[in-house]
Amino acid sequence: MTSTQAAPRGVDGAAPTGTSPTDAAHAPSPALAAVGYVARKLGLFALTLWAAVTVNFLLPRLMPGTPADAALAKLAQNGPVSEATKAAIEAQLGVPTGNIVEQYFAYLHQVVTLDFGISYTFYPQSVGELVSAALPYTLVLVGLVTVVAFVLGTLLGVLAAWKRGTWLDSVPTLVGSFLSAFPYFWTALLLLFFAGYVLRLFPTSGAYGPTATPNLSFEFFGDALYHGVLPALTILITSLGGWILGMRNTMISTLGDDYVTFAEANGLKPRTIALRYAARNAILPNLTSFGLALGGVVGGSILVEQVFGYPGIGYLLFNAVTNQDYPLMQALFLMITVSVLIANFLVDILYGVLDPRTRR
Amino acid sequence: MTPAPFTPAPPAANDTLLEVHDLSVHYGYGEYATQAVQNVSFRLAHGEFVGLVGESGSGKSTLGFALTGLSKPPAHIEKGRILFGGKDIASLDAEQLREQRHGGIAMVLQSGMNALNPVRSIRNHFVDIFRAHGHVERSRWAARATELIGKVELTPQVLDRFPGELSGGMRQRVSIALALSLEPELMVFDEPTTALDVLVQHAVMNTIIELQKAENFTAILISHDLGIVLESAQRVMVMHEGRIVEDAPARQILENPQADYTRMLLSHYADPRAEVVELPGFADRQQRQNDGAARADGATHAPTVSPRTRRTDQHTMIVENVSKVYPAPRRGEAPVRAVDNVSFTLEPGSALALVGASGSGKSTLAKLITAVEKPTSGSIRFGDLDVGTLSRRNFRQLHRDVQMVFQDPYSALNPLHTVEYALTRPVINFTGLHGTEARRRVLELLDIVGMKPVEEFAAKLPHQLSGGQRQRVVIARALASDPQVIIADEPVSMLDVSLRAGVLALLEDLREQWGVSLLYITHDLLSARVVTDNIMVLNHGAVVERGNTADVLRNPQDDYTIRLLDAIPNPRKEVA
Repeated sequence: MTSTQAAPRGVDGAAPTGTSPTDAAHAPSPALAAVGYVARKLGLFALTLWAAVTVNFLLPRLMPGTPADAALAKLAQNGPVSEATKAAIEAQLGVPTGNIVEQYFAYLHQVVTLDFGISYTFYPQSVGELVSAALPYTLVLVGLVTVVAFVLGTLLGVLAAWKRGTWLDSVPTLVGSFLSAFPYFWTALLLLFFAGYVLRLFPTSGAYGPTATPNLSFEFFGDALYHGVLPALTILITSLGGWILGMRNTMISTLGDDYVTFAEANGLKPRTIALRYAARNAILPNLTSFGLALGGVVGGSILVEQVFGYPGIGYLLFNAVTNQDYPLMQALFLMITVSVLIANFLVDILYGVLDPRTRR
Repeated sequence: MTPAPFTPAPPAANDTLLEVHDLSVHYGYGEYATQAVQNVSFRLAHGEFVGLVGESGSGKSTLGFALTGLSKPPAHIEKGRILFGGKDIASLDAEQLREQRHGGIAMVLQSGMNALNPVRSIRNHFVDIFRAHGHVERSRWAARATELIGKVELTPQVLDRFPGELSGGMRQRVSIALALSLEPELMVFDEPTTALDVLVQHAVMNTIIELQKAENFTAILISHDLGIVLESAQRVMVMHEGRIVEDAPARQILENPQADYTRMLLSHYADPRAEVVELPGFADRQQRQNDGAARADGATHAPTVSPRTRRTDQHTMIVENVSKVYPAPRRGEAPVRAVDNVSFTLEPGSALALVGASGSGKSTLAKLITAVEKPTSGSIRFGDLDVGTLSRRNFRQLHRDVQMVFQDPYSALNPLHTVEYALTRPVINFTGLHGTEARRRVLELLDIVGMKPVEEFAAKLPHQLSGGQRQRVVIARALASDPQVIIADEPVSMLDVSLRAGVLALLEDLREQWGVSLLYITHDLLSARVVTDNIMVLNHGAVVERGNTADVLRNPQDDYTIRLLDAIPNPRKEVA
């Protein structure tokens, strides 16, 4: 007996006492491991951020000519352009000075100080002013709705999977997939028409009433909320179904996993099994989609903001693109990229907290 | 180890713990229901250790899940009673069933690897159970968890690990400790060691046997492996096609089996150390070889388009001082020497067994020979080809001659394509045959691997075939290029014992009739003994022993080889 026993213990690592040196190497202290994990993710984040910023610098420079050239070419179609006009336009739009390295550092300086120049479209407002005016609306509207949709959809998905085959499953699943099949703008137009024009329940455009002035009063917040209901509903209706279906499907697959069967065999309470075993594992893949959705928030919801005349980032971006407003576009694109990066970084950290397998 | 006691007391009526009466479990309802368990009746006395043996599809796991009240739709108890301590399990509602799990029936699942919640620490697994049943006071939680984890020979440090940080054997031990924490009267072990490496398997089984004695619970051990069951159980129930065909004390099963099916199962066990090793599938080989001779004489109607082999010369695979080092998996750890300075030659028509436990480097070596991986040092030569530095463009040259048969025939075939399609692709790719010629070659391949009538099998989809038949298709596919070398990586480990011999005999035939040389990778020493002439035992990537297969197995020198041999479950070992 003793000989057969002594041998196998080493084999499956079941040493009877003490921690072997290899064990120690495998498991550094959790706090240290966590710091290492965050540091690694932070390093990766900084590297991608730098790459994104640099690409944003290089792309316009790969295109031939400068904005001033483009404007001058347009003018030249109507006849010769005088030197004075040329100088005036160049002074107005700016011409790169110095070699590419100097330009790069100047650009980096501008990025760090958030100085993105003057908008062509909304001349003479600066890009910074425009963005900081639009950003709060988009962040609150789209950001809040995205979070609410994720939380609500995930809860409904958990419920649907747990009560599979009952009305709690069929109703949210059917309604959710039906509604999410609608195109954004069509849902928006329907809401606008019925809730706005026919029933006159909600205002049809803008972020606040014509008489209100943006300030920090309760009155203004109430007014802004009131104006946000229809755009918010539009985004919620069209995105909720996806979250419900995503969570329901991953949860149904985790419900079939062995650890759920084993938990059942051990007589754990149904609530524990549903939440801590099945749902807890099912939510992990959905977090990735949530990270992407969060990153997309800053980009705004172009169609919804457009339909409701909502002065957010999406609305600004649409105007920038249609009017070839390069400074505005460049700033917006950079901001969208950065926010996607930040959202992914946050989800990475969250993943590290929620899934021990990623912490290595 | 000490021989298991073979004479159980006949269960006295008042000592009955579990009584199963005329139980049938069906999948689905009505005419189309699959009758997985049919009219099963048996009785378990307190403290018994009973084995439940059967091949895949025999209904043994379905029965286990019914006993523990874990049957899930479409499986349901069609009729019969499961009386546990006088209560009918089948009639309990969900909450009563849940509550009886403390002090009632516990179960350890087949795939213990995945039986733990990957995002919960081991300690929390225990806490969840304590909290659900309230049978351990909160102040004693930590102490009790430490005590339980000690019972399965693990250190308390394991409690603060996550499942992903533990090896397969450790995870299965944790599962057993968790089941034990319920203080069960009956433990149902469903294939508790199947997914584990052979040495670990042996260690975990020993733990189970000792625990059963120490804790004195009643145990049912469900397994496809009669060897394991006979080594541990006092009484064995043999299940076949949903029925219990034999229920007798272990010694009686071994010495005087009554059912034909039990006799068939037993016939597939032999001691690889015996002087002469015979497996049933090989008995009719003589017959088949005669058929082969007849075919060669032209007295056959099997379609033949190509000569027996188009090869003019055969090459030897020469492996010299090959090592493969993988970079450290995590920072601060040593690089992994998967293969450590291995040399061997594989002559045309010879068969070499490559033996070792999981992680010994067997499969890495196979990858090196097929040029899937490049060796870190050393050389591999096959004819004019330098396999070690072969570029991707020249893979075809190598793969025409060196083909691989994989372990898992269930995932090696695309479920959407027919057998004919699966075989036609390599035929077109490697031989250039097209249309009717390719089709004739495909049928010929099926004929070679003994899938007759060939036309009928060609039209089938993988799910319509048994595991053994699928493995034959995989072998036929490997033969499509008329290879000189076949590397078979555990080709029978996923198959039921009754199907294994047939596939092994086929490999043997290929070697003798077609001159194919065989590199047979396995941890199953019995099959190595039957199929190969020479053997090489690997441990931690290095060759620890080599020589004539029969000589090495009958007279092992290396400690590791001896341990491998000891770990083989063999029903006759106890008697001999």
